[in-house]
Amino acid sequence: MKLEESTKKQIIRNASLSLFLYILPIALMFGTFAITGQRPWEKKQHQHKQENTVKTKTSNQQDND
Amino acid sequence: MIEQIKQVIDNLNGYGFSVLVLVLGVLEFSFGLYKKRWNTNEKWVDIACFTIPKLVVKPLVAYYSLLALPALLPTLKNTFDWVPFLWGCAIIAVADDLTQYWYHRLHHQVPWLWRFHRTHHSASYMGMAMASRQNIIYTLFFSQTYLTAALVYLGLGIPAIVVKGIKGTITTLAHSSIPWDKPFYQYKVLHPLAWILERTISTPATHHAHHAATTDDGVGYYKGNFGNMFFWWDIIFGTAHISRQYPKAYGISHYEGDQWYAQLAWPLFKSKVAGSELAADGPIIREDVPLQPHQLYRPDPVVALEAEQEQVDAQLQLQPVKA
Repeated sequence: MKLEESTKKQIIRNASLSLFLYILPIALMFGTFAITGQRPWEKKQHQHKQENTVKTKTSNQQDND
Repeated sequence: MIEQIKQVIDNLNGYGFSVLVLVLGVLEFSFGLYKKRWNTNEKWVDIACFTIPKLVVKPLVAYYSLLALPALLPTLKNTFDWVPFLWGCAIIAVADDLTQYWYHRLHHQVPWLWRFHRTHHSASYMGMAMASRQNIIYTLFFSQTYLTAALVYLGLGIPAIVVKGIKGTITTLAHSSIPWDKPFYQYKVLHPLAWILERTISTPATHHAHHAATTDDGVGYYKGNFGNMFFWWDIIFGTAHISRQYPKAYGISHYEGDQWYAQLAWPLFKSKVAGSELAADGPIIREDVPLQPHQLYRPDPVVALEAEQEQVDAQLQLQPVKA
């Protein structure tokens, strides 16, 4: 038993639309960031830098001890 | 506020969901909602499908999440943990539920895939146990599980827990034999809410229609309503059939009780029921047959009376003649 041609066409059409739907929440999120000027990833990078600085300081202190 | 919501849903996911399933199960049994259709074979199918796949799938997902993903994407762990909670929920909800919509739809529309999903549709009753009544291979290849696990690895763990809790509740309630959506159709004041509800999430009415044994009565529609948590996928893709009634019969019209092991693990084990889709020489897809009165879960009162009368007549004819 084979897949009907009309069903096959509908699947392909709907699958293309799905790609857009998968991307939609991500696009909307970045759209909101663009409007509000939020940069949450920068906050994370900043946190990482701070953590690295603390680690370096601590290791330096330990070296000095 | 968001922290509180996260905490509540996290707790719901931990023990609340188990309590919900237990309470629903007790209610369904207390009100006799399986209508004496839960015979020994069906009990074995439901219990085996609920327990055995978990023993295989959980370790596999753990292996994939803890060993395979770190090996495949070593530098990407928690890369996206900066994504705000609500956006994380939206991303996970779409990724998980849309993938499951496709997985489900393809098992109905691609003929050779149907037999992996047939077990979920074979029961002539509805209940919360239906949600996990699946062939083990169907469960093993649940594509959304692996996609969501990858998103958790990338840093969307908390949104994933929240979405999983909400999704589990919606799908369990949609399969349940308790028609919680009925008041929305009965009271006119609730109709606008019903309109939104039945287009947004799976309700018992729309999901029971998907489990109907026939599409000929205008209520059942097993050729569509593939959505699990969200129903709007069916609306968008034109596979929706919105009903505010419940089907007269559930299951598969030609189902004759395939053995539990065949339903759990076809094609590893085959059915002994001649002509079954799960039998060694069975067809890939068997055509529907007209429903018999005994298959009706909600028979018309007149039809039920006639069927009862036929049964009485048959019993009378079978009585031995006294000498």
